[in-house]
Amino acid sequence: MLYREALNKAMDEMMEKDPSVVILGEDVGFYGGNYKVTEGLYAKYGRKRVIDTPIAENSIVGTAIGMAIGGLRPIAEIMTVNFSLLAMDQIVNQLAKIRYMSGGKIVLPVVIRMPQGVAKQLAAQHSQSLERFFASVPGLRVFVASDATTAYYGLKYAITTDDPVIFLEHTLLYPEKMEIEEEKNFSPYRARIKKEGEGITIVSYLKMLHDTLKVVPIIEKELNTTCEVIDLCSINPLDISTIANSVKKTKRLVVITEEPKTGSYANEIINKVLEEVFYELDAPPLKIGSEDVPTPYNRTLELASIPTPEKIASLIIKWGRKHGI
Amino acid sequence: MEYKITMPQLTDTMETGKIVRWLKKEGDYVQENEPVVEVETDKAVMEVPSFRSGILKKIFVEEGEEVPVGTQIAVIETDVEKGKEKSSHKEEISKDIKEKHKESKEELEKKVLEQIKQEEEKIELPESSASPSAKKLAKELGIDIKKYQEQGLLPVPAHEKDIKELFYKNFFTKEALEILQKYNLSLEEVVKQIKKEKISKKDILKFIQNNNIPQIVPISDVQKRVIENLQRSISIPVFHIYEEIKTGNIPDIEGITLTVWLIKILGDTMQNHYRTRAKLEGDIYKVYPNSNICVAIAVEEELFVPVIKNVNLKSLKEIADDLNKLKEKAKQRKLTLEDLTGSTFSLSNLGMFNILSFDAIIPPERVGIVAIGTEIRGKTKITFSFDHRIINGREAAIFVDEFKNRFLDKDYLNKLKKEVV
Repeated sequence: MLYREALNKAMDEMMEKDPSVVILGEDVGFYGGNYKVTEGLYAKYGRKRVIDTPIAENSIVGTAIGMAIGGLRPIAEIMTVNFSLLAMDQIVNQLAKIRYMSGGKIVLPVVIRMPQGVAKQLAAQHSQSLERFFASVPGLRVFVASDATTAYYGLKYAITTDDPVIFLEHTLLYPEKMEIEEEKNFSPYRARIKKEGEGITIVSYLKMLHDTLKVVPIIEKELNTTCEVIDLCSINPLDISTIANSVKKTKRLVVITEEPKTGSYANEIINKVLEEVFYELDAPPLKIGSEDVPTPYNRTLELASIPTPEKIASLIIKWGRKHGI
Repeated sequence: MEYKITMPQLTDTMETGKIVRWLKKEGDYVQENEPVVEVETDKAVMEVPSFRSGILKKIFVEEGEEVPVGTQIAVIETDVEKGKEKSSHKEEISKDIKEKHKESKEELEKKVLEQIKQEEEKIELPESSASPSAKKLAKELGIDIKKYQEQGLLPVPAHEKDIKELFYKNFFTKEALEILQKYNLSLEEVVKQIKKEKISKKDILKFIQNNNIPQIVPISDVQKRVIENLQRSISIPVFHIYEEIKTGNIPDIEGITLTVWLIKILGDTMQNHYRTRAKLEGDIYKVYPNSNICVAIAVEEELFVPVIKNVNLKSLKEIADDLNKLKEKAKQRKLTLEDLTGSTFSLSNLGMFNILSFDAIIPPERVGIVAIGTEIRGKTKITFSFDHRIINGREAAIFVDEFKNRFLDKDYLNKLKKEVV
């Protein structure tokens, strides 16, 4: 199964179960989605439930909000996170606030799905990671789907919940082959320990998680220690207790995100860990992220600006040696 | 001029593309912008045009094959006259392409190792600098970090590990510490378990024996390769044939060991059975004309399997010389890739160790292996193992029978002897 097929399966199952679930977005219907995520759903559920919209992101989110007020459970697809900037007014001022400002009378079971991240040479305007923006808006839940399991269960949960959910995917994960692992009591609010270890806690999500797992054996061999790798399913709210408990054990923290380092969501994670377990730390936390530049188009420069598996490994190994591993 | 067609990046997520169909054959004329091939990406099937007109000289990637973006898939000769000549290095290039395809783990590890070589600058920190957890532990154990750092007994900054080491080292004698290192034991764990003011070498050895603690022995690179190959061998469907050969008939010639005789006779027998000279590659067999046999050689604890080439064309003397050269090279760890590849059959002789018989594991990409036991009253037990994908029971039985009968054929044995003497 492909990552994008796990997302499709989640939506398909929810649409079959609940007639109020609808999909809207650019090219989600007849064309099957720009990244083929909604492929086949138009044929199965028809144009009334899989709705092709004009290229107008603010209106897509606005329409979804209206649908939700009217009793539907809309899933809005924004083609990439870069275009969500045009919809920020509806997302921040309406979607995040209406439930609060109506005293809880109006619930908005809206999911906004969008991929983010550096793909390959799409240049600065189409290569962004923007979780920092969404995670910092009270009233929104922000999920990240790192693999087929979190994509499938996470998206189903997002559709079921009455809160508005920003659901972030990664462009490069769509064609990746992976399987859905069966989970009985899935909760997106519980971080997942992908690999247990004793020496370093590594927190990551989306594509960076996969790049990290690729080099964990090299890191462990070079530093003669073991890594505990934690995948986040929800970044707001954040499951700080799983991370803090792990750091209590390992006494070392590394956070890897694809966002540019300044102001990145990694800062939030590190800050919360420092508040919880500062006196347990044996080394300053390490943050790995993109350089503070608009993503270059040139492939060599592009790769130089983002974390790659070998960069992740060498940064952690150097940091470990410097700080007493 | 040659113009290369490469696998284009057709979508932003595309990393590899699969050739669905070539719309042109080799030798066809292609117009500029005319589609030449259909490519399946992660999203859809698309036609790829040529950006030059000319003759499609060579196709490197067949239909159904998948290659990474940027890989050369064909070449167009823009000079039409030249395009009619055939290019001959198709195989080389497509092999090249396939090797590039694998970005191996070792490569990634190599890149990382290069990057971490650069030295970090050292930051000058004031004494008594230590991590929060190191400070906490030092306080619990009553260690004055500043004092020890001034004496150079603790690094700056100090980490938890350093404090623990400093504290627990005092419990051990120097010899005891050396042993601990060999067994990769943590000082803290041992102190907690032995509970003595001063722990000696004797205490440690007793502790190791009582708790049955393993010593850490690194695996040599040679053995790592052996393990890797054996794991690949597991996937071979094997059957065995057990026989006894009459080695008593073999004439005595100085410098020619039984192994040499066995190699020669095996090589000659292989000539009459093409499947023993074959390699399985995808959906074809590659049958080689010569009998190339690899021989298991033990050097101390390491196992090497170098190849004796063209056994069918060589005399016993030449084979003996080859074998000695390869043994010498193995001892000096100087075997090259050339020495280790190209055989289709294997031979392993453990006869000198006084065992009756055994069976051996087929090294990957070989048709089979023969395992030789000890000669007892002129007779030797042998066990053949065959890869059933390449040779069936009937053919294998006929092959083994011929091998066996050659030991009874005195004319043949004398002929071999004459070539030497």
